Amino acid sequence: MFVDFFYTLRDRGVPVTPTSFLRLHRALSLGLIHSLEDFYTAARAILVKSERYFDSYDQIFAHHFRGAELRDPTAVELTEIARAMLDEWLKDPGEVARALGIDEEKLRGMTPEELIKYFLDRLKEQTEAHHGGNRWIGTRGTSPVGHSGNHPGGMRVGGQSRNKSAVKVALERRYRDYSQDGPLTEHQMAEALKRLRRLTPSGPRDIVNIDKTIAQTMRNAGEIEIVFDRRLTDRLKIILMIDNGGWSMDPYVDIVQTLFHYARAQFKDLKIYFFHNTIYSRVWADPQRYFKPEPVEEFIRRDPETRLILVGDASMAPYELIHGNGAIYVDQKATGASIDRLKFLARTFRHAVWLNPVPQEEWGLTWTIGVVQQVFPMFELTLDGLEKAVLHLLARH
Amino acid sequence: MTKATRPAAFRGASKYVLDDELAKIVNVSMALEMPLLLKGEPGTGKTMLAHAIAESMGMPLIVLNVKSSMKLVEALYQYDTLTRLNDSRFGDSKRDVSDIEAYIRMGKIGQAFVSEVRTVLLIDEIDKADTDFQDDMLDVLDQMQFDIIEIDKTITARHRPVIIITSNAKKDLSDPFLGRCNFHHIAFPDPDMMRLILGVHFPKLDEELIGACVKTFYRLRELRGIEKKPATRELINWLRALKSDPDFRPQVLQQGRVPYLGILFKKSADLFQAVQQLGRGQI
Repeated sequence: MFVDFFYTLRDRGVPVTPTSFLRLHRALSLGLIHSLEDFYTAARAILVKSERYFDSYDQIFAHHFRGAELRDPTAVELTEIARAMLDEWLKDPGEVARALGIDEEKLRGMTPEELIKYFLDRLKEQTEAHHGGNRWIGTRGTSPVGHSGNHPGGMRVGGQSRNKSAVKVALERRYRDYSQDGPLTEHQMAEALKRLRRLTPSGPRDIVNIDKTIAQTMRNAGEIEIVFDRRLTDRLKIILMIDNGGWSMDPYVDIVQTLFHYARAQFKDLKIYFFHNTIYSRVWADPQRYFKPEPVEEFIRRDPETRLILVGDASMAPYELIHGNGAIYVDQKATGASIDRLKFLARTFRHAVWLNPVPQEEWGLTWTIGVVQQVFPMFELTLDGLEKAVLHLLARH
Repeated sequence: MTKATRPAAFRGASKYVLDDELAKIVNVSMALEMPLLLKGEPGTGKTMLAHAIAESMGMPLIVLNVKSSMKLVEALYQYDTLTRLNDSRFGDSKRDVSDIEAYIRMGKIGQAFVSEVRTVLLIDEIDKADTDFQDDMLDVLDQMQFDIIEIDKTITARHRPVIIITSNAKKDLSDPFLGRCNFHHIAFPDPDMMRLILGVHFPKLDEELIGACVKTFYRLRELRGIEKKPATRELINWLRALKSDPDFRPQVLQQGRVPYLGILFKKSADLFQAVQQLGRGQI
């Protein structure tokens, strides 16, 4: 029954649903799974829906099945899973009915208590019906672990055979690269940022507008007139400001570069500026922060719908941020505290976020991060953080 | 389902090297009649898998290439209003203008539904479309039927197609969508697997050359700062180029000289990087 396994997966943050768990049982009862190796593969395909969780799955699988005895589910466990099924049923009856292969109508009239009982009976029946034994795996071999032979209806094809037990395969942790805490790659960034666009009609009129065409044709008393529309293209404006100075950003240079390259290739209307630690009276369009200064006040003339993305660790000495003469460069005419500049930018652009490559759990350790956080919504520069940031940028304020 | 009635298991095809794990997943998905969602880097053979299944099971393959602007109804059927308008205006076609059904054309999913035999339906690059499209499409695929509202007719699938869905994205699709699919992530093939793949494509090529090329190829993939890493497709094309070059000797690869780099690196910045790093003898 693997109820433990199911709950361990859930506890470790792998999102598995009862419906998919039931589906796994259907696969078991169809006689598709003959060894632990089969079970490993099938359960992963059915339960785990993202390669980001493959690594967790491998770990839990190895932990759970290494030398583990597969035993009958206890009554408590059965009740637990029946309850979870009921929850799922209430959310989406059709889905559960399909997964179980039962008639939705038949269950419609039942009370929750009756449903629980029905599910319980179903589960018990499946346990018993399954080749009469007390093991869920293994129609022929009964040893649950290490049974790695291929069954006769074999699906063995070209390629090398993995003559290892499923537990060993799982222990290899082949999917570590994809686990959620892995570093951000360009490809992942692309996926996160792809949503960040706004489509507006532009370009040549080459899309036939059927409704208008018909209306226009009617108006012409049947003389056909075809109406064309412009196609939709992305017109989102983005300003990216990157902290590229100082040793404090050094550890994050790679990741910021990735973001930078990707953004430059992807967005048509993208302006990139650079600053060091925080923003004073100007930012620069060149990475050396020398040749092309741009006064911060000028940004008020930009389209307020522009999305502003600041990238930096927001870590500096407190006076740099707060003090009126805080600028650490002599040539910067200090005109007010940097924090006021940041507030000015935040006021100018309603859609603004700060991406911070510093891991979120360390934010509390740096005082200035907290201050900047009050001005800009701050997100971690990770896949998750980036997705949240994109959602924030797209939200209407 | 008992053994006897179980449809033949999928065992790979002539031009496709199938790994064990994936074979199992394909078979389980077919038995459970669930769509199989495949993710993975470009060039790991996601699309090829559907071709291979179609070939080995002797089923016709229907490919739906998803586009970002696509609406679900386009994948189901198309009501050709313009032709009808035209016919009604000029009346010189053989179609009956009053019969709307004559102007309904099946889209790719529709074709798979009305097909006389079981088909393999490949839905390629689902991640390009928006979430609504994805969810609505799975509703259709779940129920195996859809309505043509113009003629008030319900099309029900004669045979449940084998559905393969591919996605390039590393990003997750919506939860309801994932809930209805089986999932597999195809990792980039390791060098041994790659040799087998090449063996299938170039049965006559000698081992030594393939070995040297694969070795170079994996070293090239590890170059730093490359935006688009060369994938299987590039490697095959590259080998094809090397094969047709009479002057090429495998020994030059060992000396760190790589001819036809342009086939492997398609972006000028990447090519530049590769040439530079090769020049410095870094591979």
